[in-house]
Amino acid sequence: MSDPVPLSPPPVFQAVGLTRQFDGGQVAALRGVDFEIKEGEFVAIVGPSGCGKSTLLSMLGSLDHPTSGTLTYRGKSISGLLDPAEYRSRDIGFIFQAFHLLPTFTVEENVQIPMFEGNLSRSQRKERAVELLNSVGLGHRLGHFPSQLSGGERQRVAIARSLANRPSVLLADEPTGNLDSENAASVLELLLQLHQKLGMTLVLVTHDSTIAEQASRTIRMKDGRIVLPATPDPAAVI
Amino acid sequence: MTFFTVIVRGLIRRPVRTGLTLVGISIGIAAVVALVGMAWGYEKSIGKQLDVIGIDVVVSNMSGGLMPKVFDDSLQANIKPLPQVADTTSVLMQMLSIEDAPMMMVSGREWGGFTWDKLKVLEGRMPKDGTEEVVVLGRLAAEVLKKKVGDTVQIEATELPVVGIVDGQAVVENGAILLSLPVLQAVTGNEGKVNFIDIRITPGTTKDQVAALCAQIKGVFPEGRAMVASEVVGTSQGFRVARAMSWSTSLLAIVVGVLGVMNTMLMTVFERTHEIGILLAVGWKRRRIVAMVLWESALLGLLGGLLGVSLGALGLKLLETTPAVHGLLEPDLSPKLLLTSIAIAVLVGVVSGLYPGWRSSRLSPSLALHG
Repeated sequence: MSDPVPLSPPPVFQAVGLTRQFDGGQVAALRGVDFEIKEGEFVAIVGPSGCGKSTLLSMLGSLDHPTSGTLTYRGKSISGLLDPAEYRSRDIGFIFQAFHLLPTFTVEENVQIPMFEGNLSRSQRKERAVELLNSVGLGHRLGHFPSQLSGGERQRVAIARSLANRPSVLLADEPTGNLDSENAASVLELLLQLHQKLGMTLVLVTHDSTIAEQASRTIRMKDGRIVLPATPDPAAVI
Repeated sequence: MTFFTVIVRGLIRRPVRTGLTLVGISIGIAAVVALVGMAWGYEKSIGKQLDVIGIDVVVSNMSGGLMPKVFDDSLQANIKPLPQVADTTSVLMQMLSIEDAPMMMVSGREWGGFTWDKLKVLEGRMPKDGTEEVVVLGRLAAEVLKKKVGDTVQIEATELPVVGIVDGQAVVENGAILLSLPVLQAVTGNEGKVNFIDIRITPGTTKDQVAALCAQIKGVFPEGRAMVASEVVGTSQGFRVARAMSWSTSLLAIVVGVLGVMNTMLMTVFERTHEIGILLAVGWKRRRIVAMVLWESALLGLLGGLLGVSLGALGLKLLETTPAVHGLLEPDLSPKLLLTSIAIAVLVGVVSGLYPGWRSSRLSPSLALHG
């Protein structure tokens, strides 16, 4: 009698026939998208403006919901989650093109903000925020406000904030889009380090092909559809 | 950083708007403190007066305006022999405009009655007898009228000399002009008439016996009523009206306060749509967002309440010194009133934050983030 075949874990994300329509169906941002993203992959989603890549990223982060089709996270439907906030807090870290830092809070406080939903004490929150900011090279900027930082520094704060609750997935929407080439390279380097060091799944939306080349896999989109392979190459996964 | 830091930061990000909202709430709460404080103070003053003089039961007419309607003084003879009655005395009390003072209590008291007993002469003397056409002034009344012993006071068309200034231990007594009953009856054209008969009952009388006495008095004076002194304030139509007016005006002030805070919190939610989107994106639960709005709103109420109570107390103290009020009223600034006012302010804050909080909880994170 042969041994039972071990069940492989479900992919981190799996989309089947995903659509998203706006204005009562007049605008279709996604038109039947199918893909899988495995644990530890670095996937770049590329395509021209308006092709639906940011909409797709929002859905992965449960900030938006599909009009039809299914989207699962580790085998569970994201749109069926009882508590999407908990999913965003525990499993997902977001990085945005426009940084989206809170202007009235210091760098350290911005990093602490997501931790309120966890079970950390005040001193633990502070300790972790300092540790994260040190890891992105901003330990000397703790008490500064976002307006006092350069674009590159702001994005580093946003990266530190995305790691606040130690998520397993990072979703980055054009993270270098607002940065000059030097800062862009530095931020990308930081993301790659995090991906490799922490083994995190990284899904990055970009229209910059040089950034996409750094990814283990590229999903190319056009007019709300995927036009390049949407299934992972096992060799590319960390 | 704590959750409270987030709340405080939300309020101080727009200091001018927060400041103006605080001014709005505090004016509303100051109005509550001032109006209710006056009404409660008035009630307290009357209660204290009855207590100081030692009046147990008060007989008066059921109808009347500011003061009960007058009735024949001969009624006293019918009440005196009733069981449990230890002593009686009659009073004609009028609220009159005296010289420059807009409204003042003028109390004509039966000569030799116990209502004269507790008055302490500060200057001059008491009237020699019940027929002497003179007045004594409560010490606050003397201050308000700027009169001293030897001056005269004009009551209706009659000039009466001031022979003494007295301390009656209660603000109502101290703010009154006191004179012998027949003199006031003559001056006001109310010969033989009074509007109160004050009764002292024999010590050891039970509650039931007092109730029976009141019923008996009702029997001999059907159009009047006899009330235990402690109930006079609570059941008096005048006090009820004053209380209702003060609370209804306060309610208006509170409604204005609610609208002010609600407007501020709605503006805050609209203005911070993007920020709320960020908070939702980084994993804040909707109920935490609602809690943030409600706490900010409640904190606005609390701060407005503290400021309003201070303003109201200061206003009352100032009002107390004005000629229209001085001597007539002793505003009540009891902890009960101050705490009630602060509680109302916090409630105003919480109620005002409910709709903005609900709005904030309905925001779509994706739209809020890009809005």
